[in-house]
Amino acid sequence: MISVVAYGLTVGAILYIISIGLSLTFGTMRIVNFAHALIYTMGAYVLFTMLRVTGGNFVLAAIVGVAAAVPLAWAIERFVIRRLYGQSIDYAIIGTYAVLLIGVDATKWIWGATPLPLSDPIGKYVNVLGVDLPVYRLVVIALAVLIFAGLELFFRRTVVGKIVVAGLEDKDAVRSLGIRVDSYFSLVFILGSCLAALGGILYAPITTIHPYMGTHVLLLSFAVVLVGGLGSMRGTLVASFALGMVMAVTGRVWGPAAEAMVFAVMAVVLVLKPIEV
Amino acid sequence: MTGFLNSTAAARLRRFDLPILATLFLLLAWAISIQRATDFIIFCVFVLAYDLLYGHMGRLSFGHMLYLGTGAYAAALTAEHVSANPFVALLAALLAGGVVGLILSPITVRTTGACFALINLALNQVGYFLVLVALARWTGGEDGLAVTFSKVGPFDVGDKVMMFALALACLVGVVWLMRRLTDSPFGILLRSIKQNESRVRFLGYDVVRAKTLAFVLSTSLSAFAGGLSILNYAYVTPSFIDTGRNVEVIFASLIGGAGSVYGAVAGGVAYMLISNFLPNYVQRWEMFLGFALLLLIFKFRAGIWGSLVARFGPRRAEGT
Repeated sequence: MISVVAYGLTVGAILYIISIGLSLTFGTMRIVNFAHALIYTMGAYVLFTMLRVTGGNFVLAAIVGVAAAVPLAWAIERFVIRRLYGQSIDYAIIGTYAVLLIGVDATKWIWGATPLPLSDPIGKYVNVLGVDLPVYRLVVIALAVLIFAGLELFFRRTVVGKIVVAGLEDKDAVRSLGIRVDSYFSLVFILGSCLAALGGILYAPITTIHPYMGTHVLLLSFAVVLVGGLGSMRGTLVASFALGMVMAVTGRVWGPAAEAMVFAVMAVVLVLKPIEV
Repeated sequence: MTGFLNSTAAARLRRFDLPILATLFLLLAWAISIQRATDFIIFCVFVLAYDLLYGHMGRLSFGHMLYLGTGAYAAALTAEHVSANPFVALLAALLAGGVVGLILSPITVRTTGACFALINLALNQVGYFLVLVALARWTGGEDGLAVTFSKVGPFDVGDKVMMFALALACLVGVVWLMRRLTDSPFGILLRSIKQNESRVRFLGYDVVRAKTLAFVLSTSLSAFAGGLSILNYAYVTPSFIDTGRNVEVIFASLIGGAGSVYGAVAGGVAYMLISNFLPNYVQRWEMFLGFALLLLIFKFRAGIWGSLVARFGPRRAEGT
């Protein structure tokens, strides 16, 4: 029971870290970003390589992995997404999907297609109510909460964050104040991408690293964003943990059905609460 | 070269489109082997079904393999458990696609844009899971299912030429149907929904009904294409419902020129030519596909048919 809850919280935490970037990108730029999955995968692969280079220093490798997302996200934003601003969303979907295809193939080229295992970087267990839980998972959950708090502060207290929130509400009004909304949105895009990379890095020790890991998680992440409401930050938080729990409980009953159940729940939510986009 | 064909000449040419189409496919069969041509034709039916939603109604589905796969498995299971008659299997595929479309339409139809794409993708993933794991006892899971079809009179789907003839007849029928449909007031209604849905609603049209009808038509025809390919291969595998293969039909729709019946056929053939012959020379297939897609959406949005019309067609040619 405890381990199911803990697993649900871990998955929820990872889903939150990944989905928030997706949700913000949609809210600000009106773009569904399939390339998000690419950055997630790249984060994990860079982590793997850096672990070799640094001789197992997980924190350092993770920082490099997150930093590597910055130039990648910048390039995607600058050369693909910016050219599709304000046009039919279909082109953005296809364009970012094309980037994902290219990126996944590039990962296969560079690192090979075989899954790479990664061990738990902490490797210690803590006893909670009679159940041994990996400390690493608790750290992941704590990180997700920290990130949520940090983002709330960022968007409520800082000028940059307030500009972005205002831009979410009414882009043209903010622009008419003489603010370059688009460059702030690019910033949000890069921030969201860094979080995606972080998600990949944090999830890598729990599963294995393989070229399609991002594509896999992206679908779940889309479900979170759709259930939570596109562009809603708190909705994303609630939906992440709710769907993480759904996954954990279903996985306990019948393992293979865990992901399908998430989509079934999503379908039910969407029937009850239609969204206009 | 603009205006190379004036509008009367274009109209005259259009009257003979079906014989021209059939002749072109016969030439294709002669050029690349009859089995491959059958493959091409079946894929074209799928692209036509897909383009009804994407090109005409402006709904980009990222999960249309679900409907193709529904038809494929419906045909295979019918042949296995009900009747080995290929036409019964084909009918079962068509009906299964319609029923699945009807069941899912309350979820999908009222969404637009990104939501529509993603919900179809998610449903496709559920379908993939059902076929691969949950219903593996019946579908054969990852191994798939081999089926045998009986002869109907002299007709035998195992015969290459007869299968080609059947597929071509189906394609001609579907093209005829789609042309009638898109030229009809219903087709105009769909294109108006693509342009501006609320205005169409204000004019008093039942938008939801029109969208549901288009969606169910598209899913049925996709399933029909799935059934046809089972007749052709006599084998079904989960790759028929694989989420990752949606990009193929999107690519075909784009390269041919979305929103045109002939464009869909051109796109189907173009994609199949690329995917059949290029992998021999291109090492990195997915990467190539990705760059080609980027090129299409940045530089070649009109597609093959759109460019042809712009170049040779009557000056004010729009759509088909």
